[in-house]
Amino acid sequence: MTKYYFSILLTAVLTNNFVLSKFLGICPFLGVSKKLKTATGMSLAVIFVMAMSTAVTYPINKYLLEPKGLAYLQTIVFILVIAALVQLVETVLKKYVPSLYSALGIYLPLITTNCAVLGVVLLNVQSASSEASFRFLASMFNSVGGGVGFMLAMIMFAGVRSRMESCDIPKSLRGLPITLIAASIVSVSFLGFGGIVENIFG
Amino acid sequence: MKSFKEIAVPAFVLFAICLVATFLLAMTNSVTAPRIAALADDAEKSSRTEVLPDAVSFCGGKSLQYDGNDYTYFVGCDKDGGIVGFTFTTSAKGYGGDIVIMTGIDTFGKVTGITALELNETAGLGMKAQSESFRSRFIGKSGVIGVSTAGGGAENSVDAITGATITTKAVTDAVNDALLLFEQVKEAGANG
Amino acid sequence: MAEKKSLFNEFSKGLIAENPVLRLVLGTCPTLAVSTSMVNAIGMGLSASIVLVCSNIAISMLRRVIPSKVRIPAYIVVIASFVTIVQMLVKAFVPALDSALGVFLPLIVVNCIILGRAEAFAGKNSVAASAADGLGMGAGFTAALLCMATVREFLGNGTLFSGADSLLSLFGITSFTGIEIFSRLPEFLKIEPILIFILAPGGFFMFGILMALANKIAEGKGKPGAELHGCESCPMSGSCSLIKDGEADGIGARRSGAAATADMTGGGAQ
Repeated sequence: MTKYYFSILLTAVLTNNFVLSKFLGICPFLGVSKKLKTATGMSLAVIFVMAMSTAVTYPINKYLLEPKGLAYLQTIVFILVIAALVQLVETVLKKYVPSLYSALGIYLPLITTNCAVLGVVLLNVQSASSEASFRFLASMFNSVGGGVGFMLAMIMFAGVRSRMESCDIPKSLRGLPITLIAASIVSVSFLGFGGIVENIFG
Repeated sequence: MKSFKEIAVPAFVLFAICLVATFLLAMTNSVTAPRIAALADDAEKSSRTEVLPDAVSFCGGKSLQYDGNDYTYFVGCDKDGGIVGFTFTTSAKGYGGDIVIMTGIDTFGKVTGITALELNETAGLGMKAQSESFRSRFIGKSGVIGVSTAGGGAENSVDAITGATITTKAVTDAVNDALLLFEQVKEAGANG
Repeated sequence: MAEKKSLFNEFSKGLIAENPVLRLVLGTCPTLAVSTSMVNAIGMGLSASIVLVCSNIAISMLRRVIPSKVRIPAYIVVIASFVTIVQMLVKAFVPALDSALGVFLPLIVVNCIILGRAEAFAGKNSVAASAADGLGMGAGFTAALLCMATVREFLGNGTLFSGADSLLSLFGITSFTGIEIFSRLPEFLKIEPILIFILAPGGFFMFGILMALANKIAEGKGKPGAELHGCESCPMSGSCSLIKDGEADGIGARRSGAAATADMTGGGAQ
């Protein structure tokens, strides 16, 4: 059973990387990855919010929406829950844990409209309804794995971008185009991870 | 301090918007839900006919317990009511999530056809598991099916999709599970 | 007459001058994810356009009713409702598209283009202008998606309009399933499609190339190239200090970040 959860975690981090193979959370990936420090802070905030939202939305879906046949309200309920949760966490952190707030708090408002968070929550409930074994714990592992995968991609990419700073780039490619092409090369490296996970759990 | 009005008005407007929105959604749902259910039902029926083409009718979902999991299977009959085979729905972990496969098996334990009910693999690679040319590789196989990667075409094995060995293995695992379930059904039939 | 002309301007600016994907750099996630095939691109473009036009109209109508304090949550509710309606309709009438777009259909909710237009345009302008704006932005989004998808599908899969029957079945046409190109080439020209173009790396690469082209064209017209906004034009950017300070100076960003978020919590309590 440990192996099962570990394989969910590794799949979410490596083979199904949220940013580089599922294309979720591209905005912060491109926007906040210039410096290692901001990239790390943003990623930690994403991991935190992803885990929190899954922990809150999973029971809402399971004990409120599904039994009452209201599954069609998932999208609207989840986005509001995430928005409210982010606001709440921000207020609480600011008041009671100022040190943590100054490290992560500034990233929180951005995360409400981060599609990776809503994405992971929706994917979790979809998997939960299609396969009986994708229960609460598995959903949590999937969310944390997704967040860690986001962090891995952000940190790797921050490293790549810091190297590009000193390069002589053709004029039309400067800025966003070269960043995207660099992202393309980073995502090639993630294609290779499939084999690793397969060999560990194959 | 904020006055009562300052808090109450926005809260009321937001509440009203939510109320109207929920009402609209419930209306749309009541129109589309039966259609969506009918579509899913149709899709399942046509999948069953696709994987077990000889069957004229199917007797509804029977349940089976094996290895701690519950499975539902259907018995396919010809026009005289004789059993021509079974359809099983099994799943395995693919590259992009769970792959759900329906397998048709005739009374001799040979695969008559497979179809993917759920497949979220990489476009252009694993998604090729949906293609007719891949699915037909399973037809006529029985027992425990293997996967050959080098295109060698070993006995009772299917050639893997180029670049999508994980998907091929997952689909094969699901089909092998179905074949195992078939053995269970056969044994139960022999004993009962 | 003048009225008509300005409405047309609201529409046409979304196509090229303010193309949401290539100029404003919004909605990058769906752009990369669903541009693997032309049919998916059209389906996604149309779904997002419908949501965009409807939410623009609704928000413009409600712009005097919604208190500015709760406008973001109110916009999100409006947008999420339209997204859910579109999702249910797609499920019921074009099920193949629903399975092809997967989670990206409900994720239209967090597509920055829609919330961005609500905040930047529909919340301040008349219903007709907002509808025209939504239509133009939707068309621009669809066009950019289709541009990318055409190249990616052609190079990566060797086809055009593959799987078109899933969309056309809506009009009762099921005979046209797309054009096979690579597999029809004569034997001596036989080439395999360049698979990587429909995989994730190909998506990033094509988007980069397309963006470079758009910048080159803009440059020729004397306009600046698209900046790396990331999430700058997203409506939450008001509280996003990273961008204000160019995300460069960690300490500076943090300090003003606290101030900015304080504004946000003061004003936008949910």
